[in-house]
Amino acid sequence: MSVNETYQRWRYRYVPDHLLGEILAKNWVDNAIPVLFLVLAIAVFSTIIPGFFTIGSLSTIARVLGEYMFICIGMTLVLKAGGIDLSVGSNFALCNFAGLYLVNALGMPLIVVIPAVLLLGGLVGMLNGLLIGYMRLRAFLTTLVTLILLRAIVELLSLNYGVQASYSDTAVPAWDYLGLASVMGVPVSLVFATIVAVMIHILMTRMRFGWHLSAVGGSRRSAYNVGLPVKRIVAQTYVMSGVLTAAGALFYASRLGSIGGSVGVGLEIVILTAAVLGGNSLGGGRGSVAKAIIGTVIVVLVTNALVRLGLRTGTSELVLGLILLAAVAIDVKWVKNRLKILNRAYVSPTYFALPPCPETVEGSSSVYEVNDRLSSAEAIGLGELDGPEDIILDEDDNLYCGSRHGDVIRFFAPDYKRHEVYVHIGGQPLGMAFNRDQELVVCVGGMGLYKVTKDRKPVKLSDETNRSLFSVIDDSRMRLADDLDIAPDGRIFFSEATIRYEIHDWILDALESRGNGRIICYDPHDGSSRTVLSNLQFPNGITMVGDDESFLFAETWGCRISRYWYAGPRKGQTEVVIPDLPGYPDNINRASDGSFWCAVIGMRSPTFDLAQRMPQFRRRMVYRVAADEWMYPNMNAGCLFKFSLEGEILDVLWDRDGVKHPSITSMREHKGRLYLGGLFNDRIGVYDLPGADPEWTGIKHYWGDKQDKGDKTDE
Amino acid sequence: MSNIFSRTLDRFRGSGSAATTLPPMDGALRPNTRIDEAEALASLEAPDNILSTPDGILLSSRERLLRLTPEGGTDVIWSASSDITCLASDDSGALAVGLDEGRVLIRGGRHDGWEGTQLNGMPIVAPSAAVFTDPDTLLLCLASQDNRMGDWKLDLMTKRASGSVWKLDLAAGAATCLCRDLAFPYGIVAAEENSVIVSESWRHQVLRIGADGRTKVMLAELPGYPGRLVRDAEGEGLWLTLFAPRTQLIEFVLREDEYRQRMIATIEPEYWIAPSLHAPTSYLEPLQGGSLKQLGELKPWAPSRSLGIVLRLDPAGHAKESLHSRANGVRHGVTSCLPSRDGLLMTSKGGDVVVRAKL
Repeated sequence: MSVNETYQRWRYRYVPDHLLGEILAKNWVDNAIPVLFLVLAIAVFSTIIPGFFTIGSLSTIARVLGEYMFICIGMTLVLKAGGIDLSVGSNFALCNFAGLYLVNALGMPLIVVIPAVLLLGGLVGMLNGLLIGYMRLRAFLTTLVTLILLRAIVELLSLNYGVQASYSDTAVPAWDYLGLASVMGVPVSLVFATIVAVMIHILMTRMRFGWHLSAVGGSRRSAYNVGLPVKRIVAQTYVMSGVLTAAGALFYASRLGSIGGSVGVGLEIVILTAAVLGGNSLGGGRGSVAKAIIGTVIVVLVTNALVRLGLRTGTSELVLGLILLAAVAIDVKWVKNRLKILNRAYVSPTYFALPPCPETVEGSSSVYEVNDRLSSAEAIGLGELDGPEDIILDEDDNLYCGSRHGDVIRFFAPDYKRHEVYVHIGGQPLGMAFNRDQELVVCVGGMGLYKVTKDRKPVKLSDETNRSLFSVIDDSRMRLADDLDIAPDGRIFFSEATIRYEIHDWILDALESRGNGRIICYDPHDGSSRTVLSNLQFPNGITMVGDDESFLFAETWGCRISRYWYAGPRKGQTEVVIPDLPGYPDNINRASDGSFWCAVIGMRSPTFDLAQRMPQFRRRMVYRVAADEWMYPNMNAGCLFKFSLEGEILDVLWDRDGVKHPSITSMREHKGRLYLGGLFNDRIGVYDLPGADPEWTGIKHYWGDKQDKGDKTDE
Repeated sequence: MSNIFSRTLDRFRGSGSAATTLPPMDGALRPNTRIDEAEALASLEAPDNILSTPDGILLSSRERLLRLTPEGGTDVIWSASSDITCLASDDSGALAVGLDEGRVLIRGGRHDGWEGTQLNGMPIVAPSAAVFTDPDTLLLCLASQDNRMGDWKLDLMTKRASGSVWKLDLAAGAATCLCRDLAFPYGIVAAEENSVIVSESWRHQVLRIGADGRTKVMLAELPGYPGRLVRDAEGEGLWLTLFAPRTQLIEFVLREDEYRQRMIATIEPEYWIAPSLHAPTSYLEPLQGGSLKQLGELKPWAPSRSLGIVLRLDPAGHAKESLHSRANGVRHGVTSCLPSRDGLLMTSKGGDVVVRAKL
């Protein structure tokens, strides 16, 4: 092995390339850039401004933060529905004036003032909402007009009533409390803002309104087409924005008591910057309270720092404007390219060197030597089936198989000419087995482990297992349950081929060649599922050995068959039975003579084996070459073999040119005949096994004996 | 400098020179099944160069020279000492024969018995096509100086460009090189004003080489590797065989130096990711996703390392029509064709058959 290859092996063993793609696939990765920006801002300001993070400084920042958070959360709601609210600054000023006037000039109690101001803000929002939501005016222009209108009103009001509003004859402690008090060092405004943030977060992520909001912002037309009240939802966001702006204004009014002409001027830019900087998309559909908070924190820190740096008037706005510009640019680019980046990062092949491939060619006198014995196989359901991955026969010789349409199909004995849909499950049935009560247990791709009761009802047994400790992707859900077998005690062991891909993307798992799969045990006694073996290379066929304590399993891309002990003295151990198959093993089933059959879905080809040792090559291929043109394992030949528990190859059957049965995925021996299934095929094959026990059936052999034994112990 | 820079950038992004995009088979190249539906005239091993002579229609099959009988059989005329790689007739009884061992000889006619193993001191390695302009003048393509014709895959996968085109004056015994450093010239016809038209396989183009040695691209960006050229029945247009298609995967492997070198070093050529003359015959050959048999059949549009394609070009070199054997067919690797009164005769070297398609 060359130095380069040794390096590759170690590099791919210790660098988890696949995590990058998994992280990028997470929704929270949207927040990564704002958080980084925040960390950067804190680092910079705390070094260049001495005493930036003293208690006094922080408490001022926190008060402003609380006030802004209200407004920014409101803005987030509007943005998420695809709108924009520029009137927040004027609305803020209006509510500020109203609050002060009610308290100072009219001397009203807070119990009246607070609802009144909130109502006022809400009314302004409702005006926006009516115009934009119901009358379909442009959000940008409409709120710009409201901004100017309200500003004019505030000017007029402060000209006429400014003096009365400014001073109060009598102190109102409750009013001052609102602006100045703290709860355990945290300003009241921030406490309330946090409570509101939590509530809105729940509203947006856990309640119907939030989902409707995403739908409207994500695709207004689709939302309308599915029957959502788009107009009302849009209008509601402006009302909420108005109310939340009023809340912020109340705290501000109480803190400063100012009715100066500059109150709320340019606030819309500050809030918009905060919202977009946090990662809320201007285009709608994407946004969250967490983003609003991060954005507000950044903006408040930056403005505060700029003031502390003693910059001239106007510089602060200039900097904020530049930040807004940058944030919008990043937002646009990120939304556009995120999926592209993800697509270029998710598939991450790893180094994998297979042992040398055993000879198979004619005249090689190898145990695997190619023949054409399966060319004599007869077909069942030719042209009527679509993807019978596994087949099984019951005690009455009826034959069951899966189909890509999500059905279990039953062919009637003895001639298998007639068939019916036994049950519709909805996902493609893969591995099948009968349990002790002769109910069909099925692994369903994309759905999990299912049982079909005697009266033909599909019952979910398991679609979830324990989440592993350090997994980035959620590996508790099952993506590709593949084959199963049932232990005598009723526990079901089944394989999940990969946790990283759906069934139609199986080739990507082959190209990765990482141990992405696992074996899960379902316990019918308490209905629980637990992963018993993980990091397997596309674990596929599973079959009980018959010693009540171990089973055999095949790892397709690993080209090996192993034995695992789930009970007994060797419990927990794994032993490789055949390490170097010339092809990719699929299902394993019992043979009448006590040995095992194994289907081979495809043969190893030298070029694919070489590519497995060159992960970067495969990676580039995936990203540069069209999917239909990718290199695949050669699956256009049919092969299956019989082997003993010791790993000795006893018999090999081939369809050399894949005329009838390319890519065999399963086989069942039943009364002297071998039935063949294929995931990509349109038929089931029947091959007469010379010299096989004509009475032997899988069910009687496995459950029949057990039941007798069970009866005896009962006596 | 900018060249290195842009190449590196291309390699990183998979664009420009690193892109694996291929010209589509559309317009006149739209696939059909005309070769698959053509009438089979004779089944024989690896029929290669077919041509019409005063003695009838002759063709080569490995080392044998055969005559096609009207009944659809073949008579062996002669067996050479190694595989015949090209044939040319002067229409007056002389036959030029290129051999895989690196020899060109002439049977019959004025220069009967002439043979050559080198031209102006340069050894002949891979004679790939020849044509007489008059009984004294033979135009000859040498596909490569590095590999014999039998090793054409290696020549492609090692990106050789050591082919040359020669003009032999048999009477004077002089040889003139018309053009060098060609990437596998594999077809030649004489054109007006002493120019020649040559197909350059590995660069997927057809060239016109003037009497002064200047070359001009006549037809570029073919979706396959061009093989032999012949004049059509009217003598104005051309027939061009594309003996194998280009595929994205092969184009990709051609840009992956390390993989290609390791593949060449450790794997048998018939199992390479490389173009092929015949439809897959072994499960050890590479398979591409679209070629996976679905519901028991191989789709005709599946990506394939081998196809049968013959193009008709008008005098300006534009494709006018085409005949195809698609991915689910077996009449692949058409290396030579011959227009006749009854249709177009084609040798499917990979399909071991000579067929005649109606035109």
